[in-house]
Amino acid sequence: MSSIITFLTGPWATPELISWNFQILVMGFLVCISCALVGTFVSLRRMSLLGDAISHGILPGIVLAYLFTGSLSLFPMWIGAALAGIACGVSIQWLHTKTRLREDAAMGLTFTTFFALGMVLLGLNAENIHLDVACILYGEIGLIPLETDWYLFGKNLGNQAIWSMGFICIFTQLATFFFYKILLVTSFDLSLAKSLGIPVNWVQYGLMFFLALVVVASFESVGVIMVLAMMILPPVSLSFLFTRLPCILWSCIALSIFYSLGGIHLAYAMDFPISASIALTAVFIFLPCCLLGSKGGLLIGLFDLVKKPQIEDCSTK
Amino acid sequence: MSLPRINFSLLGLLSFGLISSSMLHANQPLTANEEAVLGKALVFLSFQDPSLRVMVLGVLLMGLNCGLMGGYIVTRRLSMFGDTLSHAVLPGIAVGYSLTQSKNNWALMLGATFSGFAGVWFISFLSRHTKIKTDSAMAIVLSGFYALGICLIAYLQKSDGGGVANLENYLFGSIVGFSQGDLLPIVCSLILVLGTFVLFSKELLATGFDPSFARSIGLPVGLLEFSLSALLTFCIVSSLQIIGVVLVSALLIIPAATAALITIRMDKLLLLSGVLGAVSGFTGCFISFLKNGLPVGPVITLCSASIFLTILWLHPSQGRVCLWARSFKRNQKIRLENTLKACYQVLEELSFLEESFPQSLLGKRRGKSSGEIEREIDALVRHGYATRVLSVGQKQSDLPPETMITLTPSGWELACKMIRNHRLWELYLTQEASYAADHVHDDAEKIEHIIGEKTIRQLERILSNPRLDPHGKLIPSQLDIESGWTREHSSP
Amino acid sequence: MNSKLPLPLEIHDLTVAYQKKPVLYGIDLEIQEGSLVGILGPNGAGKSTLIKAVMGMIRPDDGFIKIFGETNRKGITRVGYVPQRENIDWDFPVTAMDVVLMGRIGHTGWFKRFSKRDRIFAAECLDQMNMLPYADRQIGNLSGGQQQRIFLARALAQQSDLYLMDEPFAGVDAVTEQTIVDLLKQLRNQGKTIVVVHHDLSTATDYFDFLALLNFRLIAYGSSGAVFNHDLLQKTYGGKLTVLSEIGEKKMNLNSPESRLFK
Repeated sequence: MSSIITFLTGPWATPELISWNFQILVMGFLVCISCALVGTFVSLRRMSLLGDAISHGILPGIVLAYLFTGSLSLFPMWIGAALAGIACGVSIQWLHTKTRLREDAAMGLTFTTFFALGMVLLGLNAENIHLDVACILYGEIGLIPLETDWYLFGKNLGNQAIWSMGFICIFTQLATFFFYKILLVTSFDLSLAKSLGIPVNWVQYGLMFFLALVVVASFESVGVIMVLAMMILPPVSLSFLFTRLPCILWSCIALSIFYSLGGIHLAYAMDFPISASIALTAVFIFLPCCLLGSKGGLLIGLFDLVKKPQIEDCSTK
Repeated sequence: MSLPRINFSLLGLLSFGLISSSMLHANQPLTANEEAVLGKALVFLSFQDPSLRVMVLGVLLMGLNCGLMGGYIVTRRLSMFGDTLSHAVLPGIAVGYSLTQSKNNWALMLGATFSGFAGVWFISFLSRHTKIKTDSAMAIVLSGFYALGICLIAYLQKSDGGGVANLENYLFGSIVGFSQGDLLPIVCSLILVLGTFVLFSKELLATGFDPSFARSIGLPVGLLEFSLSALLTFCIVSSLQIIGVVLVSALLIIPAATAALITIRMDKLLLLSGVLGAVSGFTGCFISFLKNGLPVGPVITLCSASIFLTILWLHPSQGRVCLWARSFKRNQKIRLENTLKACYQVLEELSFLEESFPQSLLGKRRGKSSGEIEREIDALVRHGYATRVLSVGQKQSDLPPETMITLTPSGWELACKMIRNHRLWELYLTQEASYAADHVHDDAEKIEHIIGEKTIRQLERILSNPRLDPHGKLIPSQLDIESGWTREHSSP
Repeated sequence: MNSKLPLPLEIHDLTVAYQKKPVLYGIDLEIQEGSLVGILGPNGAGKSTLIKAVMGMIRPDDGFIKIFGETNRKGITRVGYVPQRENIDWDFPVTAMDVVLMGRIGHTGWFKRFSKRDRIFAAECLDQMNMLPYADRQIGNLSGGQQQRIFLARALAQQSDLYLMDEPFAGVDAVTEQTIVDLLKQLRNQGKTIVVVHHDLSTATDYFDFLALLNFRLIAYGSSGAVFNHDLLQKTYGGKLTVLSEIGEKKMNLNSPESRLFK
C-alpha cells in the first residue's frame, strides 16, 4: 500500500521536486500532443515506418547545423533537420520510383545511410560536439528544466525549451484544425481528393514537413525512436475506442496527459529514463484498449462471436 | 554472366582504393599525422596482430552472414521487418544479462532470441487479428520493445554500477574488445544460414514466390517462414555487438539492394549480396581502424552505401550513366533513320525518277532549319548512307548552287526498311487491331525503329504480304530493298 | 455559348503502362454528354486502368485525356468517382455521414466547416440510397451492398457532371444492384454522363445505352445494340494480340525517363 502511495506522490513530495517535475510534465504533454496529432494522419496513411525513417534521417542535418552554428539552439537545428528529413524523403521516393528497389528496401537503405552519416560526422567532430550519442536514441527529457530561461522585454517567462515546444504544439494544432478536411480526404480517398482539385502531392510533402518539424522539436527530449511510440500508439489505441476521426484527435490531447503523468511516475518509481517510461506507459495504455476496446477489441470480438455468430459475415469484410 | 561479377569486384576495389587514397592524401608530403595513419594501415593490412585478425574475421563473417540473410529480407519485402526485429531484441539482452550477471554471450543470445521471437509473434498477431495495419504493428513493436529494453538497461545500470556499460554498446555497436569468444555466435549463425540456404533453396524460393502454390504441393510453409524469422533473429543477434541495434538493418538491406540492382536471379543475388556485405564490413573496419573516434557500425554502413551508389550510377549494364549513354546513342540512331525515311519520301514524291535530290526538299520534308539539316546529312555521309555533291545549276546559272544528295545502296536499303516498317505497322494496327486509319501514324513513327526483322516477317505472314498501306501508299518489299536501287534507277 | 459543346470525356491515343508493360494501347474514345456507358472486357484488359488514368491516378505514357474540353487536371473537378471496393480502407475512422459529407467539400471549400445546408443535403443523398438509418455507423460495420450505396450517395452529393464508377456491381446484393441501376438511369435522365466499368455480359445491354469493348486496345464503341454482337465479343474476349503487346512493351522501354532526357 505504501509503495502505491510513494508511486503516486513521489514525484510531488517536495516543492523543488514539484517545480522540476512540473516542467517535465508540461514538456512531455506538449511533445505527446504534437506527435499524436501528426502521427494520427501518418498512421492512417500507412506511413508509420516512414515516420521512423525520417526521424532517423534528420541526424546528419542536426549535426551539420550544430557544426556550422556551434549552438544547440532550436532554429538552425530545425532548418538542418528539416532539410535532411526532406532529402531523406525525396531519396526514398526517387529510389522507389526510378530503380528496381521496393519501397521498404528504399526506406531502410536511405534512413540507415543518413543515420550512419550523422554518426560518422559526430565521431569525426567528437571534440566539438557535446551531443550524447545515446541521447539521440532516447532523449533526455529529465534535463529539460536545466534549459535557460526565456527573457522577453526583461521579463522572465520561464523555460525556453518548453516555450518553443509550446509554439510548435500550437502550430501543429492550428494546422490540424485548419487543414483537417484536406488531410481527412487525402488520407481516406486519394481519388476523391484529386477530383476536388486538392494538390495531393503537396499535402503529402506538407505532412512530411510537419513530421520533420515535430521530430526535430521532440528529438532532444525523447530521441528519435521513442518519438515513433508517441506518434503511432495514441491513434492506434484510440481507434479501438472511437469511430470518428475528430473524437480520436481530441482524445489524443487527453491521452497525452496520461502519457506524461504515467511516464513521470513510472520513471520516478523505477528509476527509468523518462522518455522510455512515457513510451512504456503508452504501451500499457495500448494493451487494454486493444483487448477491451468496444470498437474491434480482441476480447469484445470473442464475446460477440460467442453470443451471435451470425455477425461474422458482415463484420469481417 | 561472369562479366558482371568481375565488374562488380573491380568497382568494389576501385571504391575501396578511392576511399583509402583520399584518407591518405597520397600526393602530398606526409605529415607526422599522416605517417601515423599510414603506419596503422600497414599494421592492419599485414594481419600480424592476432586480436586484429579475430576482429577482421568477425567483421568479414558478419558481413557475409548479414548479406546472405539480407538477400531474403529484401526480395520478400521484409526490409523494415528486419529493422523492427533488431530493435525488439533489446529487452532480451537486458534480461539475459540480469539473469547471469555477466556479459556471457550465450545468455544474451538466448534472451535476445526469445525477445525477437516475441516481437515477431506480436507483429503477426496484431496485424492478423486486429484492425491494426502491418506498418503500425511494426512501429508499435519497434518502439515498445525498444522502450522496454532501454528501461531495463537503465535499471540494471543503476542497480549494479558501471558493469553494464557494455550493454550500451549494443545500441551502436563497437569492435573494441571483440574476442575469439564473440566470434562463435557469428560462426554458428553463418553455418545455420548457409546450411538452410543450401539444403532448402528450392523450398525457400517456392514459399517466397508463391506461398499458396507452395502449400498446395505440400511444403510446410509456416515452418519455413518461422525458420526464416528464426535465422534472421540469430543473424541480427550475432551481429549486434559489432554494428549495433540501429544499423544492423543497414547491413541487411544495403548489400542485398545493391545486388538486386545488378541481378534478378536469386542464387546470384544471394552470392553477390553476401560478398558485398563482407567487402563493406572489411572496408568499414579498415577505415574505422585508421582514425580514432570513428565508430565501426556507421562506417560499415557508409561503405556499403557508397558501393550501392557507385553501382547505381556506374554499373556497365544497369548504371544510370550507362543507361543515359545508351539512350543517347539510340536517339541518334532514331534521328538518322528519320532522315533516311524523309529521303525516301522525297524520292517517292519525285516518283523515283531522279537519283539525287536537292537538300532544300529534304529540309522542307523534315521541317527543320538548314543548319539542322546540314548536320543530319553530315551524319548520313559519315555513316556511308548518302553522298553529297554540290551541283551547279545547269539551266539557271544565276541561282545559288544547290547541294544534291544521293543515297548509297546501304542508305537506300535502310530507308526502304524504315518505310516498310512504318507502313506495315500502320496496316497491322488498322486491319488486325481495329484502330482508325487516321490514328496510327504517330504510333508507327515510334514503332518503326524498334520492331525488328523477326516481327516484320511475322506481320507479313499475318497480313499475307501486303503491297499497300492504309493510306494507299506502296510498302517496299524485300525485292525492292535488295534490287530496287538498280531497278528503279536504271530506267530513266 | 459555344456552338459545339465540349465533350464530357475525350481520350486520344492513350497508352498506359505499369512498370514498362503496356496495359492500354492507343485508346481513342469520345463520349457524348448524357450517355450511360458501360466498359466491358476480360480481366486484366485495362478497364480500371482506363478510369484511373482519367482520374489522374496513373500518368499516361502517351496521348491525352480531356474532360469537358479541359486537361484532366483541371476538368477533374467536375468528375465524381466511385472507387473499387478493394481500394478503400474500411477500418478508417469515419462514419457513413462523414463519407457523404466529403463529397460536399468541393462546394463548401477546403477550409470552411460544413454548413447546415451541406449536412441536410448529405442526409438527403443518404436517404435517396435508403441509407439514412446507418448514417452514424462506422463504414467497416456495413455490409458490402451498403458500403457501395454510401459511395454512391457521396457521388450524388458531389453533384458532378461526369461520373466514373469502377465495378459498382461487384459483390453487392440484388436489391443494391437494382438501386444502383435506378440511380444510374435517373442521373442519365438529368443529363449527366456516366461511365461504368462492368464485367457481367448478361446484364450489359439492359443497364447501358452505350458500350465500349476494351481489351488492351479499344475494340469497339457504340450503342449497346450495335456493339453487342458475337463477332466483336469474340474479338474482345478471344485473347490478346501477341505482336501488339510485345511491340508495345518494346516501345515503353523507348519512353524510359533516361531517353526523355535527350529528346
